[in-house]
Amino acid sequence: MASTLRIARESYRIKGVSTDDVLRYLGYHGQSFDGQLARRIDAAVVRCLTLAKPRGTLAAFYVHRHDEKAIELEGCTLCLIGHDICAHLDTASEVVLFAVTLGADIDRELRRLSLTDPLGQVVFDAASTALVERAADAANAHVRAYAAQKGAFTSWRFSPGYGDLPLFTQRDLLAALDATRQLGITLTPSDLMVPTKSVTAIVGVHPTPQPGLESSCSICSLYDFCTIRQTGRTCRG
Amino acid sequence: MANTSNSGCTVGSSAQASEPVAAVTPLGHTATRDLRIADEHLARVLRGEDFLLFDGAMGTQLQARGLAAGEIPELLCLAEPEQITQIHAAYVAVGSEVVTTNTFGANRSKLGKAASVDEIFQAAIACARASGARYVAADIGPSGALLQPMGTLSFDEAYELFAEQVRAADAAGADMFVIETMADLMEAKTAVLAAKENSDLPIFATMTFDEDGRTFLGTTPEVAAVTLSALGADVVGINCSLGPSDVAPLIKRMLPWASCPIMVQANAGLPHVEDGRTLYSVGPDEYCAAVATMVDAGVTVLGGCCGTSPAFIAGEKALLEGRQVVPRSISQDFCVTSAQQMTAMPAGHVGIIGERINPTGKRLMKEALRSGNHDYVMGEAISQTNAGAQILDVNAGLPEIDERATLVRLVSELQGVTTLPLQIDSSDPEVIEAAVRTYPGKPIINSTNGKRESLEAVLPIAKHYGCAVVGLALDEQGIPTTAEGRLAVARRIVDACDRLGIARQDVIIDCLAMAASTDQSAPRAILEAVRLVKRELPDVRCVLGVSNVSFGLPFRPLINATFLAAAFGAGTDLAIVNPMSERLMDVVNSWRVLSGEDERAQAYVAAYAQRSDAKPEGGRPASSGTDAQAASAQKEDVLASPEDRVRSLVLAGRKGPVADAVRLILDDPDNTHDAMYVINKVLIPALDEVGSRFEKGTFFLPQLMASAEAAKEGFSALRSDGSANDVPSKGAIALATVKGDIHDIGKNIVRMLLENYGYNVIDLGRDVDPQAFVDVVVERHIQLAGLSALMTTTVPAMAETIALLRDQAPWCKVMVGGAVLNPEYARMVGADFYAKDANESARIAAEVLG
Repeated sequence: MASTLRIARESYRIKGVSTDDVLRYLGYHGQSFDGQLARRIDAAVVRCLTLAKPRGTLAAFYVHRHDEKAIELEGCTLCLIGHDICAHLDTASEVVLFAVTLGADIDRELRRLSLTDPLGQVVFDAASTALVERAADAANAHVRAYAAQKGAFTSWRFSPGYGDLPLFTQRDLLAALDATRQLGITLTPSDLMVPTKSVTAIVGVHPTPQPGLESSCSICSLYDFCTIRQTGRTCRG
Repeated sequence: MANTSNSGCTVGSSAQASEPVAAVTPLGHTATRDLRIADEHLARVLRGEDFLLFDGAMGTQLQARGLAAGEIPELLCLAEPEQITQIHAAYVAVGSEVVTTNTFGANRSKLGKAASVDEIFQAAIACARASGARYVAADIGPSGALLQPMGTLSFDEAYELFAEQVRAADAAGADMFVIETMADLMEAKTAVLAAKENSDLPIFATMTFDEDGRTFLGTTPEVAAVTLSALGADVVGINCSLGPSDVAPLIKRMLPWASCPIMVQANAGLPHVEDGRTLYSVGPDEYCAAVATMVDAGVTVLGGCCGTSPAFIAGEKALLEGRQVVPRSISQDFCVTSAQQMTAMPAGHVGIIGERINPTGKRLMKEALRSGNHDYVMGEAISQTNAGAQILDVNAGLPEIDERATLVRLVSELQGVTTLPLQIDSSDPEVIEAAVRTYPGKPIINSTNGKRESLEAVLPIAKHYGCAVVGLALDEQGIPTTAEGRLAVARRIVDACDRLGIARQDVIIDCLAMAASTDQSAPRAILEAVRLVKRELPDVRCVLGVSNVSFGLPFRPLINATFLAAAFGAGTDLAIVNPMSERLMDVVNSWRVLSGEDERAQAYVAAYAQRSDAKPEGGRPASSGTDAQAASAQKEDVLASPEDRVRSLVLAGRKGPVADAVRLILDDPDNTHDAMYVINKVLIPALDEVGSRFEKGTFFLPQLMASAEAAKEGFSALRSDGSANDVPSKGAIALATVKGDIHDIGKNIVRMLLENYGYNVIDLGRDVDPQAFVDVVVERHIQLAGLSALMTTTVPAMAETIALLRDQAPWCKVMVGGAVLNPEYARMVGADFYAKDANESARIAAEVLG
């Protein structure tokens, strides 16, 4: 069967993010705080949901060559280097790349807050980090549905900079996805993505279930975006 | 903050719904540059008299031939020139007059070591020529990096990337440039400037838009059309983006606002994959049907983008067969833009320019500009925006500061807090040019005047950068006393603008308000001058700064308001005022009813239905939420001493009531507590307690910051009533996020805390060049520097900055912080201190500076 996943651009409707996630990004560990701060966090989440345009671009490629140090893909110039990514994708026959972003309005708001309201910036930043992770979950759910359709399973999403996969992988990954044109994601010479609330990821398509796959739908981070469940099945079979 | 960023265009009060009021203007676009135009047909195209047919996609065609994802397609010009020529030739065969070179990403930064820019353009233009096309357009796509301030690419770096492409393309024999798929208006402006300053070939410039009608960076079609055509692009338009039926409404929004021909190259809809092949959703017939509606609306330059093939171009060729160019009506409105917003005013509407960002006679503004701490300036910009200003004047003219650097920085920062277009206010042409060159939009220049020297220096800048310009009615002889005298000067200014080809509606005459107290005939002379200028110099606009008129009189706002009403009556279009003055805005809003600008008085009724002259109780406006909170807080704490109240408010992170509580301490009749007492005995101990709770983990970061905010309110209260003037600063600290890094949150937290502890923090921002940082440390002999880096890739820039500091500022201690650092890493980069958090940085500052 041909590798057929190529989504130039898709939008994600995300209705909310968990306050626990936002608090976690704010370094929270159980302190008691008052209603004023809680309202500020809620307001930041609402504003973030208003300004964000969560979108993604995805493409699947067959694994062309795979050893313990590098993976080459068919029809793609991206080469994945490092022991960690190679171990992670050891049984993958196919690799899905994706990039998601919340768009430039989030960066503009962060800049506005950096000039006017440092606390507001910290809280908004945490809210948007939580949201972009949700966007990555949404893209990942799409990948999992694609794999399930082929009777295959996905590994957890791996990003440039994890383990020994170099950050410069970002450049070829974004190029392979044409992410600048599709989503407006650009890269600084130091390999930082702008808009800053963007995530790139590499997901393997494997013949057998992979570690990290949640054993129950109810605790799955992709629950909200899952399209497999609607068919009466799960990604575990 | 008002929701200004959502309104694409403000046409007076009636927003963008109003169609531009204009007679049908034959385009007759005449470029004022001396262009090198290949032949008469192309000249007619540029005048809007003929159609021009481009080609379709290159990338999609290459992919169909097996180009791998992520491969650099431009290299094929060298490796497989026949393939490229074949693609061009297929387009020529079906009627493309212009083929576009395979050079979309051929800039030095994207090509890297793979090939030189010159080589690629030489080869690409040869490939295009070999197809037998009538014209060859050199393709210039985005640089791939984002410009400052959102990204790290500087204007100069971006300019050099584009200029190199322009020179290479010109040398290799291109007929024109196509600057395309731009999402960032600043990048598009940079590319157009690079083209027009390094070549005399025609410039076609197109941007790409999203489903919501904006580019990825928030530019609307109107803003793009106004800004790029004013800047000197010879054709502007839309490419890529969407399918043609989604592009059509966007291109129609461009049509009235570009003073040049309009071009469209849409995608063939959206791609999807079938059996491993990428297919697009729109076929040639559907595509051309949508294109036809755009041609009927006045589009004259056609082609295709992603997913289009020769079949699409053949369809467009057939479409143009026997068709005549449809005349367009171009708006004659006064209009200026920021990157996200257009302020447009038809003749007869009045506009408000906020005057507050100007140090003249304003102590806090002077302080802000001198210290480089621009919080106050940003606050003024936000207040004016919310109060109804449509344009903001920006002036940084203080003799003791570097006006050029300050103004350029202010202009950049202001775009972070307001989307209003700016008026660049300086008497120094070099300062003006530096500011407008890097401004992503069409600003107003304030100002030139009737002096020959000024006209010769300022008007070419206005023309080159496509700005509107204020001309003061004064000359070598001073300000004429009579209306006729002012008209004569105005006429000289307008004549000079006419000669340079600056459109009449971009010329704004200031008849100069003079004090009624020194010469009571002055106000009448001014009003008469406005009437004369409007009558004798058609289409020219008039602006007045009204507040001078009341100089020397009591209760000045009343005189100003009355004069403003008279000035509007005389024909003044723009008023430079303080929009926070309710009295003045009352005049503006009521005038808009009387003039008919506020249709059916809708805006007036909405804002004034509940207003009356009866004074609200207690002489204060109805109590707002914060007042109510303050009142209840006061009740709770009524038994505590004011010192305890301030302390508990800081600990609770409740900034609202802090200022009042601080004033209570100062006003206490039994004591003679001064600012030093409040700082050293109340605020600092409270902050110390906050720091210790953070240390112990009973507070988390937002609580630390909320407390810092509350304490800051206390310090501002001391500063604003002047009682803190003699409080000595504890010393200066320079802060920056290092070169290449754009994460500034940690640095901002540190800054907030250090300011609270009484240090004078010089915040150089993010992505700060090592030498620029060291220069400031040396110039101000700073004792402590703080550097932040969040990514491993930017830690070397930290080491470099510290090495430069050791060399040039050996006295300066360095503390570093950021997610990737630890004590060991800090030592490795050569720092004196590692600050694990903001609290620690305050401790280090106390150790170094006391």
